[in-house]
Amino acid sequence: MAEEEINLPSLVIVLLITGLAVRYFFFSGNASSANRQPGGTGGASPEELQRRREREREAAVETIQQMFPQVDRRTILWDLQRHGGNLQATTERILAGRTETPPITFQPPPPPTSPETTATQQSAAAANKYAEKKAHPDLITRYNLKDKLASAPSDDAGAATAGAPKTGGWSSNREERQSLLQKRRDQMIIEARRKMEAKIAAEKAAAAASGAAGGNN
Amino acid sequence: MSLNVAQRRLLQEYRSLTNNPPEGITAGPISEDDLLHWECLIQGPEGTPFEGGVFPAELKFPNDYPHMPPSMKFLGDVFHPNVYPSGLVCISILHPPGDDPNHYETASERWSPIQSVEKILLSVMSMLAEPNDESPANVEAAKMWRERRSEYETRVKVSVRASLGL
Repeated sequence: MAEEEINLPSLVIVLLITGLAVRYFFFSGNASSANRQPGGTGGASPEELQRRREREREAAVETIQQMFPQVDRRTILWDLQRHGGNLQATTERILAGRTETPPITFQPPPPPTSPETTATQQSAAAANKYAEKKAHPDLITRYNLKDKLASAPSDDAGAATAGAPKTGGWSSNREERQSLLQKRRDQMIIEARRKMEAKIAAEKAAAAASGAAGGNN
Repeated sequence: MSLNVAQRRLLQEYRSLTNNPPEGITAGPISEDDLLHWECLIQGPEGTPFEGGVFPAELKFPNDYPHMPPSMKFLGDVFHPNVYPSGLVCISILHPPGDDPNHYETASERWSPIQSVEKILLSVMSMLAEPNDESPANVEAAKMWRERRSEYETRVKVSVRASLGL
């Protein structure tokens, strides 16, 4: 009887210790990882939370905008804010055309361009060329010159040389001035493009020739 | 429509640029409704990696032009030590009048009302040919220009071709 009585408390103690040990292991694992995340960004957990909320909100806005590009960001944000950020509910309201126009006083947070642009600026160092190329359409697209470029090159060149002295003048008519300026601009680009095309063709020919000659080297 | 000093001066400059356009430059207001906002095209100078290219840029004039200089921003990719990655051009003629507090530039190099759009555009053209790497606007470009010239030139040539859709 006495032995059993000693056994029972010791059993309890053993159980308690294992329990504590297990708890310690699990809990400490959780606690340390939970502490580390905000700790890494300077120990500001409310800030981290705020950022996470912003990210979630931006993700929601983006998703909705992909579905409904005609709905502006402000309306989406207003609806999300009014209805607790429920993406599904907002989507349904937009579908049903039941979104409200946000009041003038509603100042939505700006789109996350600033953090993103700084991020791209940083990564731009590596992918500078590609990023910028994507950002700027080429001149032909920019000035809508595809059709003019497609028209017979010889015709255009003739018109360009013939038209050059004429387009140099100042017209007293405002609209005419505007269109002459545009014409000069277009011409400059088309000429540059043609010259570059010719240059590339010449380079290719030269490369082919030197390639053939290079066979002897 | 009555024009203020800035607008009158700009119209006059527009006129002289149209009558006697400098080689490789086309410039004028995007719309005459707003004479303070111009767009121009600059040809890449020959004998430089920019050769063959045409570079669009916008000029924005302040209300007190010609007392204060305009700002100039390239609208395409111009990889150059004196052009910010955003396209903004950084040369002395575009800096407000007076002496440079850092003594880099003399007052005569900076903007003054006797300068003009034409002079700006010609300065930018020569800047394309001869970068000034004393105070770079694009550090990456300045570094590459200084240390790996051939890579810099290739980089520029590639972007010139891309800008022409080639």
